Amino acid sequence: MAVIEIKNLEKTYTENVVPVHALNGVDLSFEKGEFTAIVGPSGCGKTTLLNMIGGLDYPTGGQVMIEQQDITKMNSGELVDFRLHHIGFIFQSYNLIPVLTVKENIEFIMELQHRSRKEINDRVRYLLDVMGLSDKINVRPKYLSGGQQQRVAVARALASKPKFILADEPTANLDSKSTDTLLDLMANLNQKEQVTFLFSTHDQRVMDKARRLVTLEDGKVISDTKPEMKYEGQHK
Amino acid sequence: MLIQIAWRNVWRNKTRSLVIIVAVILGLWGGIFSDAFMQGMAKQQIYSGIHTETGHIQLNDPGFLLNHDMQMHIDHADSITSSIKKMPEVKAVSSVIQLTAMASTATSSAGIMVNAIDTVDQAQVSDVSKLLIEGDYFKDDHNNLAVIGQQLADKLKLKLHSRIVLTLQTMTGDIIYGAFKVEGIYRTHNSDFDQQMLYIRKNDLLSLTGFPVGSASIITVLLNKDSDTKNVADVLTKQFSTLEVQRWEQLSPMQQVLSSTMTQMTIIFVGIILIALAFGIINTMLMAVMDRTREIGMLLSIGMQPSKVFGMIVMETVFLSLTGAIMGVLISISTIYWFGKTGINLSMIAEGANAMGYSSIVYPTLSADFYLELAMMVIVIAVIAGLFPARKAIRLKPADAVRGD
Repeated sequence: MAVIEIKNLEKTYTENVVPVHALNGVDLSFEKGEFTAIVGPSGCGKTTLLNMIGGLDYPTGGQVMIEQQDITKMNSGELVDFRLHHIGFIFQSYNLIPVLTVKENIEFIMELQHRSRKEINDRVRYLLDVMGLSDKINVRPKYLSGGQQQRVAVARALASKPKFILADEPTANLDSKSTDTLLDLMANLNQKEQVTFLFSTHDQRVMDKARRLVTLEDGKVISDTKPEMKYEGQHK
Repeated sequence: MLIQIAWRNVWRNKTRSLVIIVAVILGLWGGIFSDAFMQGMAKQQIYSGIHTETGHIQLNDPGFLLNHDMQMHIDHADSITSSIKKMPEVKAVSSVIQLTAMASTATSSAGIMVNAIDTVDQAQVSDVSKLLIEGDYFKDDHNNLAVIGQQLADKLKLKLHSRIVLTLQTMTGDIIYGAFKVEGIYRTHNSDFDQQMLYIRKNDLLSLTGFPVGSASIITVLLNKDSDTKNVADVLTKQFSTLEVQRWEQLSPMQQVLSSTMTQMTIIFVGIILIALAFGIINTMLMAVMDRTREIGMLLSIGMQPSKVFGMIVMETVFLSLTGAIMGVLISISTIYWFGKTGINLSMIAEGANAMGYSSIVYPTLSADFYLELAMMVIVIAVIAGLFPARKAIRLKPADAVRGD
């Protein structure tokens, strides 16, 4: 069963004199455990698509079904609650809370979910271990490298045990070494724990790691491929 | 954790926060201290009025105060005085014969008020005996001694031991003259009082005017505690229903009006300062919100309820304001305590201050109630100041805000 199902999704921005059709009838479906990169030139609608899937904005038309629930029908309050419990976000600029330590940044979202203290402590310990940040537990973000900060952001996104994680250009501000480390971590989580990842990216290294590539152009899906299967097919 | 984040956010941009905190400290200190100064002046004026002029309560024949007619006197004043003295709330009682007169010297004359007193009783009721700048307070046993104010002495060019002639009316309406020797010169905080009030012994007046023995124009009552004034006045009103019983507020309504006006002005003054500070606080918090657009966008994106974001910003504003307010109040309390002990010497403008009945040394004071009211005002103003930036924060579109748009 699809985790995310998008049907004839449309988004038109009318703030300017000339309306901008950011998405023009997108139909997509994502299964649990997918590791998908949404690619395409600037302005093709990648970020808009992620915003619609993440319930950060309302589409002009169409549906976004998350496990059979049409989130386009939810009001803003319901969407906030839905995002808190079902979606993880990773941002290009990490967007950590600078006045909180690494541990507190990860804990914060679980406190919003009213998890028990024991559950929070166990989960933080596990995520810090997985992300290789156990020695940075009480450090504030400004004392971390970009790669380390983005790993904290991934841990924060995972902390709420979301159904899937949306990552908007997560490697755009990282050097190649940090990018490789981060991608390896996310690929591991994807394979071992079946965490579903959806990236928007320009980064070839992310595309190389992705097991599905969705290419957008002018708000439409122009290709939807699974390089891994193609690779396997060539071997056969 | 929200409280923790809000508190830490206050110190995120230390310079910006410190600027507004220092502004709050200075604003509040300026407001509180000047209010304490005004309150000190008003309190001293009331204290001085009670302890030199009116006492806490006065009893007199109804209508006496309108024209000071000596026929309107209190019969059996001595027995009434003795009866009042027995009340536990009463510190001292004195009966006075008060009448208008003309004081003359060889060179000039002036209209005055003669107060014929029992010197021992009056010294317990009024501080005039302690405010002598020259001479003595009826120390000499000789007849026809007078204690006068410095202003009257200056006006009539009188010195210690000078002769002064008083023109008085007798009980039968005749005019008589009496020569008195200046034994002492006093100076209170009220130059009008010093120019008007002349004190002589009661016996000296009785022999001149034929005023009935044992009677008086006014009975002045001094209490142990200011707060007992109304209760004791009520008791006396019931007990001596033929007499007019008036409290100091009724005898000197201006003092009471001034005191309550100053309290109101204090609140208004500090309120204006706080409103002005609120604009500074709003500006600081708006800058803080704009600086943190991405972070607020992230919080809204990951599922933090807008009401919590709103509360966090308001909390930050309250913390910022309270930090400055607490420090401002502590500094104010210290300086008010210090100057409350040492006093602020206004001798440079003492003449003008004395003309209005104020002391030349002011002891600033503020009641504990005021600090409670101030704390409430600071919190209310801070919450109001936080509303606009908080509203701005929750109106951000998370999708745009996370990218800093």
